[in-house]
Amino acid sequence: MLRRIREPNQISLSRRAALKGMGVALALPWMESLAPAAVASAGPPVRMAFLFVPNGVHMPDWKPQTNGYGFQLPYILEPLREVQNDLLVLTGLTHDKGRDNGDGAGDHARSASVFLTGAQPRKTSGSNIRSGMSVDQVAAKTIGQQTRFPSLELGCERGRSAGNCDSGYSCAYSSSISWAGPASPMSKESDPKLVFQRLFASQNATESDRAATERNALRKSILDYVADDARQIQRRLSRTDHLKLDEYLTGVREIERRMERQTSDVQSPSELDYPVPKGVPSDYGEHIRLMCDMIVLAFQTDATRVSTFMLADAGSNRPYAQLGIPDGHHDLSHHGGDPKKHAKIRQINRFHMEQFAYLLTKLKSIPEGNGNLLDYCMIAYGSGLGDGNRHNHDDLPMLLAGHGGGTIDPGRHIQYPIETPMTNLFVSMLERAGSPVDVVGDSTGPLPGLQI
Amino acid sequence: MRARHPNRILHFRRPWWLIVSLVVLFAASVTNGADANSGTVQHDFRRDVVPFLNQFCLDCHSGDDAEAKLRFDKFQEQSNVQQEFLLWEKVQRAVRDRKMPPGDALQPTEDERLRGTNAIATELSRFDCRLASRPGRVTIRRLNRAEYDRTVQDLFGVDIQPARAFPTDDVGHGFDNIADVLSIPPILLEKYLEAAEAVVDQVFANEEARGRLFVHQPRTEEEKVDAFRKNMFQFAERAFRRPLTESDQLGLFRLAESAFTNGVSEENIAKTVCTAILVSPHFLFRVEDDPAPDDEDGVRDLSDWELASRLSYFLWSTMPDDELFALARAGTLSEPDELRRQVVRMLQSPKSRALVDNFAGQWLQLRDVATRMPDPGRFPDFDDELRQAIRRETELVFATVVHENRSIVDFLEADYTFANERLAKHYGIDGVVGPEFQRVSLPPSRRGVLTHASVLLVTSNPTRTSPVKRGKWILENILGEPPPLPPPNVPELKDDADALGTLRERMQQHRENPACASCHEQMDTLGFGMENFDAIGAWRDLDGPAPIDPTGNLPDGSTFAGASDLAKLLANGKKEAFARCLTEKLLIYALGRGIEPFDRCAVNEILKQLEGDAYRFQTLVTGIVLSEPFLKRESSRTK
Repeated sequence: MLRRIREPNQISLSRRAALKGMGVALALPWMESLAPAAVASAGPPVRMAFLFVPNGVHMPDWKPQTNGYGFQLPYILEPLREVQNDLLVLTGLTHDKGRDNGDGAGDHARSASVFLTGAQPRKTSGSNIRSGMSVDQVAAKTIGQQTRFPSLELGCERGRSAGNCDSGYSCAYSSSISWAGPASPMSKESDPKLVFQRLFASQNATESDRAATERNALRKSILDYVADDARQIQRRLSRTDHLKLDEYLTGVREIERRMERQTSDVQSPSELDYPVPKGVPSDYGEHIRLMCDMIVLAFQTDATRVSTFMLADAGSNRPYAQLGIPDGHHDLSHHGGDPKKHAKIRQINRFHMEQFAYLLTKLKSIPEGNGNLLDYCMIAYGSGLGDGNRHNHDDLPMLLAGHGGGTIDPGRHIQYPIETPMTNLFVSMLERAGSPVDVVGDSTGPLPGLQI
Repeated sequence: MRARHPNRILHFRRPWWLIVSLVVLFAASVTNGADANSGTVQHDFRRDVVPFLNQFCLDCHSGDDAEAKLRFDKFQEQSNVQQEFLLWEKVQRAVRDRKMPPGDALQPTEDERLRGTNAIATELSRFDCRLASRPGRVTIRRLNRAEYDRTVQDLFGVDIQPARAFPTDDVGHGFDNIADVLSIPPILLEKYLEAAEAVVDQVFANEEARGRLFVHQPRTEEEKVDAFRKNMFQFAERAFRRPLTESDQLGLFRLAESAFTNGVSEENIAKTVCTAILVSPHFLFRVEDDPAPDDEDGVRDLSDWELASRLSYFLWSTMPDDELFALARAGTLSEPDELRRQVVRMLQSPKSRALVDNFAGQWLQLRDVATRMPDPGRFPDFDDELRQAIRRETELVFATVVHENRSIVDFLEADYTFANERLAKHYGIDGVVGPEFQRVSLPPSRRGVLTHASVLLVTSNPTRTSPVKRGKWILENILGEPPPLPPPNVPELKDDADALGTLRERMQQHRENPACASCHEQMDTLGFGMENFDAIGAWRDLDGPAPIDPTGNLPDGSTFAGASDLAKLLANGKKEAFARCLTEKLLIYALGRGIEPFDRCAVNEILKQLEGDAYRFQTLVTGIVLSEPFLKRESSRTK
């Protein structure tokens, strides 16, 4: 199953070991440039996922007291005990473009749209939405082309169905962290059953080879036909309609590309030994865990190497009755310093963390290459706000789990100077995933220190 | 440093446009001097706008090196708001939304900001419709989920809902049918193809549905190809909602031909063609042609076929029925009397249920009822039965206004509603038995939709009411005056021991901050009027231990005590504002685009008819259907 293009080069293990031996605590920026494409030189590909939680977190119970190795897990991070040595706690990172910068209120909407784009969203409730391309979609356009699905977008909430979302910002901003382009938010799938069927069940098991071949040929002719129609309409209409038909044609090409790969690398659900999910469960924790399972399955079968997952939409006012918290999360996040509200918020934060721990443990339990799947992953987890009460966009909560195919030395808390762009992390992640770019949003360079 | 924001000023990204418009503007200002009406206009502008411009804008926007080449120092005598309404709309929005002046520049007080923007708004409202008549242009619009399901159902006569598996449609301007906002992410195309295949499989397996598709039955082997062609073309015509062009026919023919050449069975050829039609952009999008490039004024009347689709998707969220198609074919649909007849027929039809689901469901936010999770500890009565009942109640009242052609003011002051036993108990109404809904009189404490449990629920938090949300809801959805955005970095409502007291007292402290006062005064006053209803819309006299004070004063000096009183006050004193608000919302929904400044002419015209006919709902719909934006289309060049 492992066919992939690999670039030679990067720091050899012995060199890394040597650096470690020299007692270099924090790699300097120039060291990053020693490893321009720090991809593991052989073996399984690197996968990346980005998980978003809304309304910020209770930072005093998130931020470790000490830097480097061996930090004590604060209350919210305690569920990560089993995987502490597989992740980095990154503090001090900032999303400047999440700030109002003259646009006024709407921090929640901005916190989601800026999360992976680092781009200031245009304040509009309808037409002319504008953000930027998100880091996952940058990867989707490169390493994503080597798998059946360029990327996978998941979320537990389906976005608002009526009304306005946040202070004059379109709902697209608060319900999308993944953006294929400045005006193209990616829709997210919220039903684990549909995700599963999309990933694995598109092939009809009872269909004969001949019937399948014919079906594929007919599908191909249908796609040719509809693409012709789309191009004809495009010629007739004006520029403002082109974007819509471009999106349509991108979708057509995407299906065609997948059909070409289809036959060789789909694993049947029975091989996976995973029961088809029954739909959206009523229990929220179970819902999150099922979505995590989908990420694991997709990575395990190399159906995709890139995924995003919004545990809830920005500004979510969902109550957490299962935790004995009937108040809405957003309502609570405006705690006004009330210790009772703090207690509830950190409980919610910890609940989300338990689900994240579930994902990481599961990835770790799956053998891959010379180790396990988590060794070949980079899983970012965080929020676009620091404190939900202050709506601050600096010193954001961010975790980076996984070893990135040996390009990351986890197990540490790294504190960056405040105002270090969050997007620098994304530049470094893309580099490690084999999809190097110069800039993501407002990035100023790679983020030092991920590797010793 | 960001003393000046070269690229951020008013979001102008096309300086050429600005230069052109300013040239026009200055040219116009010379000729306008003789305008007899300008006396009163000047007065407001000089008193309220010019000082504002001088104090807060001229620093950057003056002289030869003005930011964004926008020189307010040229506006000392003449407003020219009317000639350059697009520019002034932007100025007004930028100041109102706190984009201007930029954060590091001298800031106006809230009062100054409001006075300045209101004065500009007043100028804009005097817009002279003779100056420019523009119908606007709708971007190519794909079917949303609701429209897709209903269209497929009508196309095949099969009860299926394949769009349930589609991703949610994004919402813009409050609705999920806005062309610009309806994007086509790759996953959607995948779903379209899957849905089309599944639908076709189902239709071909169903004898009855299959019969409707294969209308022409060949009697001989020779007739076979011809019958096949006829059946497929007939289907495509209904699916594309217009006659086929030669190129359409050729495309379909080639598709069938290539399958035939490859030895595909007749059955599978037919299936392939049907699937292709359902994935075609002609089916998935509503394509309207632009005016011809050589068209002088760049505006064209929509064809009868295009109108048939506009009507059916507006009122039914689905494709035109046989009658609309027949009228389009005869070329008589666009006659005003025919359009009036069709509006009445379509609103009477059970299919107008779509207007309840999709328009009322979003205007009144009824769709959110399904997702709200009130605290079971505080509201043990709340269960799914009640959840469904409170949504149904508002839907039935809306449907009644539609079907009985009642006044839209009923939404504000109706003394009747619909209840089943469960809801009647919730409201304290006696004598309703069983799960069926019946028309009942409301107790004096309730009037209109503001006192419906559905509205009261969606404007609450899970554990408590939110007077701010309720007030904001009224401003946005009833009065059409969305409050300005809050300034950044507002201090929070303190919840600690220093700030004890009732919610009203604590909000009062909040309002002592002048940055918050001007807007919260309005929102809170309205919201507190509804405090007698808890977070699930049940009556209460106390909030915790404290008695509720539902009294308030509106800025115009009128006073009210409680929600019923407030509703009556709005129905009497704010009727025009409400009518304008509802008209604009329904027009947005009908067109699938946001309201543009030039639409105010169409809106004013509709309002005139509405006022002249006792605010009847059908008159509102007829007014929209007969308006220029609904009947015409302009080319993108005029923008």
